[in-house]
Amino acid sequence: MTGGTVEDSLASRAGRLFAEYRDGDHAKLGDLVRVLTPILWHTARAARLDSATAEDVLQTVWLTLIRKSDTITEPRAVLQWLVISTKREAWKVAKNQTRFRPEHLESTTSDADYGDSIEDTVLRDESDNSLWRHIERLPERCRMLLRVIAFADRPDYAELARALGMPQGSIGPTRGRCLAKLRMALAQDPTWEHR
Amino acid sequence: MNESDNDRQLAVEEQLAAEELDAGDFTLLNSLRAHYDEHDPVPDGLVERLQFQITLDALNTEVATLTQLDLAAAGARSATTEAVRTITFTSESLTTMVTLTPLGDGTVRVDGWAAPGAGIRVEVLLADGPRNTYADDDGRFVFEAVPSGLAKFALYVRHDTEFSTVLSPTIEL
Repeated sequence: MTGGTVEDSLASRAGRLFAEYRDGDHAKLGDLVRVLTPILWHTARAARLDSATAEDVLQTVWLTLIRKSDTITEPRAVLQWLVISTKREAWKVAKNQTRFRPEHLESTTSDADYGDSIEDTVLRDESDNSLWRHIERLPERCRMLLRVIAFADRPDYAELARALGMPQGSIGPTRGRCLAKLRMALAQDPTWEHR
Repeated sequence: MNESDNDRQLAVEEQLAAEELDAGDFTLLNSLRAHYDEHDPVPDGLVERLQFQITLDALNTEVATLTQLDLAAAGARSATTEAVRTITFTSESLTTMVTLTPLGDGTVRVDGWAAPGAGIRVEVLLADGPRNTYADDDGRFVFEAVPSGLAKFALYVRHDTEFSTVLSPTIEL
């Protein structure tokens, strides 16, 4: 990903749709929703919201985007704007939910309760299962970062890391700490035989 | 893990972190994506629900919710039941009450009252198209003989120069 050509990425595809929407093609907003719902869904769920609450958060964020669409100066920034807004709204709502506990913030244990307790349903493939176990042991911030960027494209990584409030160099041209931690954990795990 | 092990681990982590992303990382991220897709997929219909909300928002639409449903002969409805029903639905700008009287010939008389609804335009949306009327000064409106079936009411509320639309839930006439 060097060279000066415009790299196609989730952020640039979203930016094009958003620009067309603002130029009066209202149907493009529906396309934008379709393109970005997966990454925003996982952003909200990474904040440990239950399914119904995560849906409400996404609805709020999209309606806010419509109201504030003029304030986004660079269309390509719309992905970043939506991820930041989703994360903030999700944490705001999560704080008000009684099952949220502060220790979740930096939880490094694998038994933290996880929304709909995904790991309970994951006991099939041994490699898949060990990947999951190591993901669960990552610091919360890393887990969120990796979950979100897994739904984006490489040129978007650095921007999304910033949007998620991760320090510079989290991921981008370099691997960053979160992926480094995960790779080390997997390298030391004999049950991990993906490669 | 003793302290020097810990230091060594940290040093390795730092070195790994500073390297460029390689094929192994992309494979890992793809596995993560596949994993989350499988175990926490985007709910069915979520995209469509969000798109629908956006459309309603663009039309300045308030979705009214059913607040009361009085069945004169609850549990005894059939094609021939002459049950008169009163349904109330509410949204931010309006409360609307409709009384439905089956006329026995497959049509229903609708007597409605919207508050505050003086002079507003009211539409009943039916399978074969909408019908229009206007509320009187007290907010009362009537549809004489509407074919029974599923319907929605749309009420157009004036706010100075703008209109907003209040949309009722789907109601069986």
